Amino acid sequence: MSYLTEGFTLRSWLTTRDHKRIAVLYMIAITAFFFVGGAAAALIRLELATPAGDLVSAETYNKLFTIHGVVMVWFFLIPSIPSVLGNFLVPIMIGARDMAFPRLNLASWYIYVLGGLFTLAALIAGGVDTGWTFYTPLSTQFAEGNVILVIVGVFIVGFSSILTGLNVIVTVHRLRAPGLTWFRLPLFIWAHYATALILLLATPVLAMTLTLVALERVFGIGIFDPALGGDPLLFQHLFWFYSHPAVYIMVLPAMGVASEIIPCFARRPVFGYRFMAYAILGIATIGFLVWGHHMFVSGQSMYAGMVFSMLSFLVAIPSAIKVFNWTATLYKGSIVFTAPMLYALGFVGLFMIGGLTGLYLASLALDVHLTDTYFVIAHFHYIMVGGSVMAYLGAIHFWWPKISGRLYPEMLARIAALTIFFGFNLTFFPQYLLGWLGMPRRYHEYPPEFQVLNLLSSAGAAVLAIGYLLPLCYLGWSIFYGKKAPPNPWGATGLEWQTASPPPQHNFEDPPRVTRAPYDYA
Amino acid sequence: MWAFLATEVLFFGPLFFGYVHGRAFQPEAFASASHHMHVVLGTLNTAILLTSSFTMALGLRASQTDRSPRLWLWLTVLLGLAFLGIKGYEYTSEWSEAASAAGGEARFYFLYYATTGLHAVHLAIGIAIVSWLALRARREMPIEVTGLYWHFIDIVWVFLYPMFYLLERYG
Amino acid sequence: MSYFLTWLALMVLLALTTASSYIPMGIFNTVANMGISCAKALLIALFFMHLRGASALLRIAAVTGLLWLALLFGLSWTDLGTRPSAPAPIDARR
Ligand code: HEM
Ligand SMILES: [Cu+2]
Repeated sequence: MSYLTEGFTLRSWLTTRDHKRIAVLYMIAITAFFFVGGAAAALIRLELATPAGDLVSAETYNKLFTIHGVVMVWFFLIPSIPSVLGNFLVPIMIGARDMAFPRLNLASWYIYVLGGLFTLAALIAGGVDTGWTFYTPLSTQFAEGNVILVIVGVFIVGFSSILTGLNVIVTVHRLRAPGLTWFRLPLFIWAHYATALILLLATPVLAMTLTLVALERVFGIGIFDPALGGDPLLFQHLFWFYSHPAVYIMVLPAMGVASEIIPCFARRPVFGYRFMAYAILGIATIGFLVWGHHMFVSGQSMYAGMVFSMLSFLVAIPSAIKVFNWTATLYKGSIVFTAPMLYALGFVGLFMIGGLTGLYLASLALDVHLTDTYFVIAHFHYIMVGGSVMAYLGAIHFWWPKISGRLYPEMLARIAALTIFFGFNLTFFPQYLLGWLGMPRRYHEYPPEFQVLNLLSSAGAAVLAIGYLLPLCYLGWSIFYGKKAPPNPWGATGLEWQTASPPPQHNFEDPPRVTRAPYDYA
Repeated sequence: MWAFLATEVLFFGPLFFGYVHGRAFQPEAFASASHHMHVVLGTLNTAILLTSSFTMALGLRASQTDRSPRLWLWLTVLLGLAFLGIKGYEYTSEWSEAASAAGGEARFYFLYYATTGLHAVHLAIGIAIVSWLALRARREMPIEVTGLYWHFIDIVWVFLYPMFYLLERYG
Repeated sequence: MSYFLTWLALMVLLALTTASSYIPMGIFNTVANMGISCAKALLIALFFMHLRGASALLRIAAVTGLLWLALLFGLSWTDLGTRPSAPAPIDARR
């Protein structure tokens, strides 16, 4: 009897408290949002295929990139790995029967859906054009449209994040199996623990800041309004105090995923385990100290710019440690290029490029030229799409046998992984060049000399779209027709592989004991 | 629970931050708006809330030493309601001035209503939980956790009181 | 008993803050108010919330929120504290 066969009615799913079923609910919901955000992206790239602003008007274009950003950041990427794979795996990996607060867990899914409905309502009611950053005074005084609806949506989904974060922290503290000491935890758990800390410490600031924006918009008074002696930059400080750490909410879980997949398919223990764990905590902490690098040209003081520029270079250190240690893990390993491994390697490479170009942007003097160009767009897409989405797909493939109890078709999966890698680079590498040449972001038309690169980028987007649709098809197919999966198809270590695929309702027939360090591949 | 309280601290964060910004850049407007606050009522309310923390702590002690915490819990609820009542009276009597304020003073009132309003919402939730505990006082109930929440609300007010009521009172 | 003493101390401190704010001390009014508030908060945390004698983990959790708030204020002040002038008001209102 597995968790999937405990009940077949819709009701048994919608009222479940099983963390594994909740993870599946999340998977369905965020996949839907991924395709909403993707549709907006497709229209954006279609518009930018030609220099003239002919497909959509400037206003519509503004609404498209706003909805793309809002949906992709808050409704796809932030919940992606933590709420789907984290939910599914955190209890199993630590040998627990469930999360610490199963009912809270289900509640956070409903809260997520509610927030999503508000955002979709705003979309149907005509959209918003502030950009995902909601900068004041644009969002408080000038923007047309349904700013408040979207703010309410993001506010609500924030609580879903906070509850998930609380749940993960308490679960990791209280429910570890006997013998599972902190330094025997898989790095996936470390990464989720650190992510949960960021969720708890950053999200409430965003929630309250957006509330203030909404209040200011309704009443016409508030703290960001310069006419009252307020300060629009106050908003940017508060927003980026959340949003820079939020980029680590999106990338830390991806790092956790890579740290599971790479040792498994290199057949070697992770190199420098303790450093990896400390680096995770380091990134989570330092990530809170650098937000001012988003404000170099906003009018903040020179002095602040210099402080934030220097602090930003610090983040590179723990990130570099991680990339170095993954590489060292691969060294002399007997590498098997399965689909999850291809995704994991893609993640490492693309994250590295994204991170290095982040350093360009963190250099105060360079950023003055590159900010608000396509260079920034390319930078964060390399990290968020090239990095996190790759890792998410890698994780879905790696743990698919565990989640569904079926094997996916390996050859097709490898083709899809390579298609995505190729399509991604074709889409976003030209954007680095465009930004370097000075093409600004957030306009729906551009001078003709930029057309070649833009056309390449749009073509890449088409390839990427095909790449993303492939897994949807064959994974869906495998649920019904795939080969039945054994408990441990990859010969991996880790508690999740010691129980059946798919696991029984309470994860283990008898509670496991842990006597060894993780990544015991010899 | 402590992790939850850390989240709460940061939830109040932007409001405190807006206030500090205002104090730094518009000190005169903030001081003069502060003079419209009812110091007596504010002080009374502070005393009430501090006392309610005291009764809450006694309630926990009673439940831990096998005595009924009911009486203390109801007292706590009563004090909480008294606080909200007084606050409500203040809100209505300040409303007309707040509505006609301009410039930095309007900003002060905005922050005042937003921050103490959020605090009041928290307190109302606290009152609901404590009443629920008092109604079905059984021993294995989460009195301790509720107490932490209640004391946290109290601590927030301890800072709000001087921030809004006590600016340059001598002027 | 210790609860009662805590309550008494809180009341005395309350009287002190209120009284102190009627004495002109310039910036030190704010310092006194905030100092006393911190003392009150500490009393509540240590005695009513039993942080005295709590495990290290709880204490860390209790100060983390404050520490992070301090980060927000501190690093923002590298900007707000060193701006040459307040931002110019915009008048092009809707
Ligand atoms: C690790 C994951 C990272 C993610 C997900 C990420 C994401 C982002 C995003 C979304 C933006 C655009 C903000 C906007 O203007 O709307 C951005 C800009 C920026 N990123 Fe990153 N980033 C990451 C890492 C880094 C690193 C390691 C650095 C530097 C050490 C860095 C430096 C910057 C800078 C300076 C900007 C501002 C560019 C500008 O607007 O002028 N980023 N990043
Ligand atoms: Cu950043």
